[in-house]
Amino acid sequence: MGVTRRDFMKLAATSAAGAVVFAGCSIPEQEFIVQSPVRIPEDVLAGDENWYATVCRQCPAGCGVIVRVMEGRAKKIEGNPDHPLNRGKLCARGLAGVQLLYHPDRVARPLIRTGDRGRAEFRAASWDEALRELTQRLQNLIGQQAGNTAVIITGPLTGYRAEVVRRFARALGADHFQLTTPDETVVRTAQRRAFGSEFLVDFALEQASYVLSFGADFLGTWLSPVRYSRGYGEFRQGRPGRRGTLVHIDPRFSTTAASADEWVPVKPGSEGLLALSIAHVLVSENLANPAAVQAITAGAGPAAFNPFRPELVSEATGVEADRIREIARAFGRTRPAVAIAGGAAGAHTNGTFNLLAAYALNYLVGSVGVGQPVRLVARPPYGNVPYTPNPATVSQWQALISRLDTGRPRPVQLLILFDADTVYHLKYLGFEKVVGKAGYIVSFATLLDDTAAYADLVLPAHTYLEDWGDEVTDPAPSYPVIGFQQPIVNPFYDSRSFFDVLLTLARSVGGPLQRELPWPNLREAVRDGARQLYQSGRGSVQAVDFEAFWNGVLQRGGWWDTAAAVTAVPTPPNLPTEPPVARFQGDAREYPLALIPFEPIGVGSGGPLAGLPWLQAVPEPTTTMVWQTWAEIGPETARRLGLSEGDVVAVESPVGRIEVPVYVNFAMPSGVVGVPFGRGQRHYGRYAQGRGANVLEILAPLTDEDSGALAYAATRVRLVRTGQRVRVIKYEGAVPPYGLERERPVEVTRG
Amino acid sequence: MRALPNRIRRVILIGGGLVLVLIPLAILGVVIVSAAGLPPAFLRPQVTQPIAFPHNTHVQAARLDCTFCHRNVTTGDAATVPAVEQCMFCHQVVATDRPEIQKLISYWQQNQPINWNRVHRLPDHVHFVHSLHIQRGFACSTCHGAVENVGKEGVQQVRPLKMGDCVNCHRENNGPTDCGVCHY
Repeated sequence: MGVTRRDFMKLAATSAAGAVVFAGCSIPEQEFIVQSPVRIPEDVLAGDENWYATVCRQCPAGCGVIVRVMEGRAKKIEGNPDHPLNRGKLCARGLAGVQLLYHPDRVARPLIRTGDRGRAEFRAASWDEALRELTQRLQNLIGQQAGNTAVIITGPLTGYRAEVVRRFARALGADHFQLTTPDETVVRTAQRRAFGSEFLVDFALEQASYVLSFGADFLGTWLSPVRYSRGYGEFRQGRPGRRGTLVHIDPRFSTTAASADEWVPVKPGSEGLLALSIAHVLVSENLANPAAVQAITAGAGPAAFNPFRPELVSEATGVEADRIREIARAFGRTRPAVAIAGGAAGAHTNGTFNLLAAYALNYLVGSVGVGQPVRLVARPPYGNVPYTPNPATVSQWQALISRLDTGRPRPVQLLILFDADTVYHLKYLGFEKVVGKAGYIVSFATLLDDTAAYADLVLPAHTYLEDWGDEVTDPAPSYPVIGFQQPIVNPFYDSRSFFDVLLTLARSVGGPLQRELPWPNLREAVRDGARQLYQSGRGSVQAVDFEAFWNGVLQRGGWWDTAAAVTAVPTPPNLPTEPPVARFQGDAREYPLALIPFEPIGVGSGGPLAGLPWLQAVPEPTTTMVWQTWAEIGPETARRLGLSEGDVVAVESPVGRIEVPVYVNFAMPSGVVGVPFGRGQRHYGRYAQGRGANVLEILAPLTDEDSGALAYAATRVRLVRTGQRVRVIKYEGAVPPYGLERERPVEVTRG
Repeated sequence: MRALPNRIRRVILIGGGLVLVLIPLAILGVVIVSAAGLPPAFLRPQVTQPIAFPHNTHVQAARLDCTFCHRNVTTGDAATVPAVEQCMFCHQVVATDRPEIQKLISYWQQNQPINWNRVHRLPDHVHFVHSLHIQRGFACSTCHGAVENVGKEGVQQVRPLKMGDCVNCHRENNGPTDCGVCHY
């Protein structure tokens, strides 16, 4: 067949096959565009990167981050190497921040409700229309002397962000509630008692040789996991010839348990008793500081610990007497030793006691104070603003729910929400049943959350990468740290800062609101704080004038004062002579399993984190599960109930049921079931919607007696087979293991 | 394996045959076309730009240096096209009555970027760093041709600017030819 060049060209040009052959090799049309931007700031060069420092807001820890920006677009988030909390390290949540910025389902413009409450049906509106409406409603409330019928609910706030909201609420006469995790509330209460400081203490693991951890999953999600992981790395490998020992006490095999030299599965709620028994061994074998013993026992002396002899508590804690003695001796003889506590240990009706008893061990071995691994943090010279968040207790939420329901003692005519998805996080109180009774609901949202679905007005809020802000870092790394947050990119959508909107409203409403809130925007408020740091003349940034100082703190991502130290050693706390016993909801025969909900590393306790696909896909380290909620049981429980991986079970508590697949974890003790928090949202965009189940739905509202926080591990459950089976989504088994582990890496010696 | 219905087998045979014949033919075609001195296959046809920008006026009449507008060329990877703002530094007053300048002014007033059609596009997976080549003393025209003479018809590519072209020039000028120099 003779094909001339001309014939071939004809064939290629006219036939479908020719079109396919050439189209496959061509370059997408958009790559043939070179854009002349309207303006180029001096510090922006096309193709060159700029890095800006700011504060991470993906959890309350307040790590410093730097963001790579090219042509005005945020590309990558990394840890800020200058920031003393995380020193250049960052966790998966922090890295996923760009997905929040570019989320395809972000609230892009103001929305006004058109459908029934909860149905999330809206029409788009302009900011002018939205603010007119809101100003009108505020003026009406003030005109009717009914400012106190407004309620503001936010996430945990510190510094000038907290101050703006506090003053707004005060001028209006409104209540301001902060929604945070129950764990943080218990830990704050217990540490305030144990160490007498308004701030949380720093557990400097890098200084320790022995760490005894009660329930605190500090390598996973607890408080400030990047700071602790950094300390842990030093503790294990940073000191040649000296490898620290970690013993973790936890009913569930968590990330921290998996990293420990020894894991002690304890009966849920008996952690405080175990701590007292360890104290008994320290005292009776002369391993404890006598002065601390006197203080802790309120002068009663060593005899006060007699009821906690290992043999006497062995049954209640589920730990053999000999093992308690071994742990206590190692803890008492290895200096410096640290006892750290939180998480599941505080999630009981005796949560504060459990943590307090564990913290008291630090005094017995002299680990509290300057140069020791447990350090108090000094107060920064940052002005008269809230330095720590003020989380609401369960009873405060219950009062608000009753107020919404009955309109007594006064109705809720205006409900303002920011970064607080009460419908999701207060599922155990049935908040969704009463939220619709509020007069008018305004929600500031980045992703449409489950509460925003009930709102009359949804306002697009900036993400933290577009907003100003500050953070009184707590827990801080041994010395005070103020993080400064700056917009690192222009707003991606038509969003605004929640705080700026409050300030704008205050100006347009006038009266006491305007007098209380003198700042034009949040930036000016934060600059007021920075000015106080500048005037103190202390800390990491020294400058000739305030503007240079301001540039300095923004460039470094914050201010810190390494010289500020608390030299006074606090007085040890008194421990109760009659330790409170954990109470559970649900009869042990009818509901034989103790439910331990836990925060998985990726989506955490929920919120916008669940909306980010990178975080949905972060494997929970001990199970490697992704994108779903599951029930984690041990092999013995699985055998008894005839369950295997993938069986869908109903987890039934006295107050509710959820259906989830089973994962059999060989390290899970019998009698315990673990279910992760963080999923089961109705909204939050395409990646979270309708995925998994919300374990808060089946929790009974029992509280820790001292802090008033939810005792989230105090509900007993049973597992009921549904007959369905699914293939669980997990990383385990998907990739063959490296050929390194010739021996069995983990030996399970206890059922 | 169960036998497939005859119809499907016929489709697979003919389709597969066509693919087997056409792919070598297509490659052959490109080779023939290039060898015959027709417009080289690597060139995009002359593109029209949103604004008919005359380089010759700016270089010859206004005596501007290339770097006056392509200001990143001596310091960075990309030479960069100027921002609308930079055009407006002069064109607020210069030649504001011309229709093409009025297009520019309208972009500026509406706060809109200009989407120029790219003329020079290197293949994927290669990094070209303008600044290094300029620092070694190469003129812009070495790769881009006599842009200073190009008027409103618009700039066109004058060299293949593919790997063979790059490697030839690197060899002639004792430039490095390690893979990692460009492919990183």
